[in-house]
Amino acid sequence: MPRNKIIGAVEIGSSKISVLVGEIEGGRELNIIGSAEATSVGVKKGEIVDLSAVSRCTHATLIAAEKKAGVQVDEIFLSASGQHLEGFTNIGTVNVQDADNWVSEHDLRCAGQSARQKALPQGRCYLVHIRGAAYADGREVENPVGMQAAKLELKYWNVHANERRITDMIHIISGYDDGLSVEEIIPASVASGRIAASDEERRAGALVVDIGEGTTDFVLYRKGHIVRTGVIPVGGGHLTNDLSIGLRINFKQAERLKLRDGKAVIERGDKDSHVLLEGDLQIGDRPIPRLAIAKILNARVAEIFSIMKNRLGSAISPQAVPGGVILTGGTSSLPGIDEVGRDVLGVDTRVGTHPAWVTRKDLRDPGYATTLGLLFFGLQGQSLGERERKAEAPRAGLLRRLFK
Amino acid sequence: MAEATRDWQENPLRVKIIGVGGAGGNAVDRLRMSGPGPLELAVVNTDFKTLDASPLTEKVMIGKTVTGGLSTGGEAELGRQAAEADRTELARLVEGVDLVFILAGLGRGTGSGAAPVLAEVAAQAGALVVAFVNLPFSREGQRRMRQAEDALVAMREACACVVSLPNDLIVQQAEGDPTLLEALAIADDWIRRGVQAIHSMILENGLINVDFATLREALQYRGGKAVFGFGEGAGDGFVEAALRDLERCPLLHLPDNRFLRKTDGLILNIRGGPDMPLSDVYRIMDFIGDRFGCKENTVLGATVDGSFQGRVQITVIGTVDVSGARRHPYRVPAAARPRPVTPPLRPEPPPFAPAAVANKQTSAQTDSVEGPSLAQSPHPAPWDTVTATPARRETKPTRGQAEFEFLAGEERGYFEKTEENLYEGQDLDVPTFIRKGIRIAL
Repeated sequence: MPRNKIIGAVEIGSSKISVLVGEIEGGRELNIIGSAEATSVGVKKGEIVDLSAVSRCTHATLIAAEKKAGVQVDEIFLSASGQHLEGFTNIGTVNVQDADNWVSEHDLRCAGQSARQKALPQGRCYLVHIRGAAYADGREVENPVGMQAAKLELKYWNVHANERRITDMIHIISGYDDGLSVEEIIPASVASGRIAASDEERRAGALVVDIGEGTTDFVLYRKGHIVRTGVIPVGGGHLTNDLSIGLRINFKQAERLKLRDGKAVIERGDKDSHVLLEGDLQIGDRPIPRLAIAKILNARVAEIFSIMKNRLGSAISPQAVPGGVILTGGTSSLPGIDEVGRDVLGVDTRVGTHPAWVTRKDLRDPGYATTLGLLFFGLQGQSLGERERKAEAPRAGLLRRLFK
Repeated sequence: MAEATRDWQENPLRVKIIGVGGAGGNAVDRLRMSGPGPLELAVVNTDFKTLDASPLTEKVMIGKTVTGGLSTGGEAELGRQAAEADRTELARLVEGVDLVFILAGLGRGTGSGAAPVLAEVAAQAGALVVAFVNLPFSREGQRRMRQAEDALVAMREACACVVSLPNDLIVQQAEGDPTLLEALAIADDWIRRGVQAIHSMILENGLINVDFATLREALQYRGGKAVFGFGEGAGDGFVEAALRDLERCPLLHLPDNRFLRKTDGLILNIRGGPDMPLSDVYRIMDFIGDRFGCKENTVLGATVDGSFQGRVQITVIGTVDVSGARRHPYRVPAAARPRPVTPPLRPEPPPFAPAAVANKQTSAQTDSVEGPSLAQSPHPAPWDTVTATPARRETKPTRGQAEFEFLAGEERGYFEKTEENLYEGQDLDVPTFIRKGIRIAL
């Protein structure tokens, strides 16, 4: 009997590094058999600023996770975020080869290839090519193979990244143990989107927003396809920093205050209400007006949403995203954040929950959306990944090239 | 008023503030302004009842044939028709006035409909028209917003300068949960400061003087957007404080002020105490020039106010030419043109010889500006530093942006050592509340 495959999902985030170890049984079933988490050092705004510190941290977390699982990880799925991620839409067009205009798999492959081929500037590399809608003679179809059409168009959302930053991440993983290999690097938004939005929501059209510590990653689905992803290099860390500057307290105090009393909406009665900074009645403790906290956080949260709205433009409207806006990521636990989102984006906004198959209580925290999503992609890569796999193929070669 | 030689002694510069519609009328009613020279106030409305309640003496009722003395019920088209019907009334209102301020709340009927017509009439009569308009709360719904935006476009076409004040911002500025009166007071204060800044700039005798002709010249391009902001500083390092305050002025952070960093024309008014060194004036100018990307066409006014010891107030009005409006300059029809630029505009004996009026058109001329004008001025120098003019030259050329790094490098806290996080010219790592100028009370 072949040994079950063990995959590791690693997210090197700005606040924490989290690792999940999953066992893929018979290529179809996934068991989460180990997890570990460590406070991240040396990552700011989703980008690595201190490579050796991050390396040590990641390795320690991997060891802990493997210990818990009791097995060694075979391959790693890594998430990427940060301002350096960018994406663009490209449409591959082919004239159908067959004399009677029957669309074949070959046509599809050719269209995909031409959509993914665009050359990138120096120092950039493709991270993923995500297949979107297909058009047969201009008509949008789910699967054009076997249909009759003269022209086939295939839309792709291509995400590219700074080559240096990607190699840094690969080096961290390959530096562990005996040269562990990175199977795939997936944008954090794509991974979270998979977990936070259900199939129906993605089909209807939805925006998933993963507000983490250092970055806000978003992914827009239309008719089940990813049409856009993006990163705003602002996250929960900025909320804390704003509080620390605005209230003149240190970063740690601000973080505690944010988690304990933070909220994104200004409410009636905040004006006269105060909370204690520490609550331990010690010297140096002082009352802080709720209004100040709410005002600072509200301004920042509203700004994040309005930047997103600007970026997405007309792509975000109640008509375009009937599935609504789904928030996930650590910062989505901030009370009132969904309300601000609704006000700014003008679309129904809610905090997402993980699908029912995530049973472990500690993993149901929205902060785990990305890692869970990575595992999910890992499973998919093993089993039904046929179609997606094809799109990934040239990229795998690229990663190997980067590896050396 | 077409005569080329106007007797300024008997016929001084006329400034009129006209409120249009309910909101505009209220704003004029509450406008407590102090300033030199006569100031005329008037209201225009369609609603007899509101007009009757106004304490002002000059009231114009429009659209009697259209609305029958009632309000427009929020219909901008009705407001426009009302104003069109009584064009002659409006023309009489602005006849012979040199500078017209129009105050209106856009979004509802009379303000949105009649204000652009009035602006047009006033411009035709030869007046320089500056408008301050309030935009509705976004909660008031899409329709009001749309009406307001349409009206704003119409206003921009007719006026030399339109400053828009979104009501949403007013609430953001207020402490906590403002009462209605508090919110109105803030709105009034913004309008008052704006009107007063322009008014006092051209009517008071400044150290570096801006007169009506300069203002007209600076605002000659219509169809553009206006950027308006002010800052105030007091105590130690008041110049820095004022600049920082200006930087945080919420009006400079409106979503549609993307053009903030490249204005085409800039009017800068500095109001300082007798103790303010001239070098500070230039520091402010340099900073503003850099900040608004306008070194070519800056009009500087500086006023000395005895009560401003250790204090300074900066007002900036910039015009942005968004749609190639430069090709359609705001020009008064030749017949209606009041006067050639040269004669002194002030009724009182001018403090400086007209040729020496120290208006600056380009910063390239900066160095030569006050040399001939102030030094040779028969007027006793209001500031001691004026006599020390040559000394200024030594400090000026070396001054770059370095001096104002406190504005750029400060307050990033945790993100101090990371790359700048630029988005539309702003560093996102700097707390939002600082950039938007939201006051946090501790």
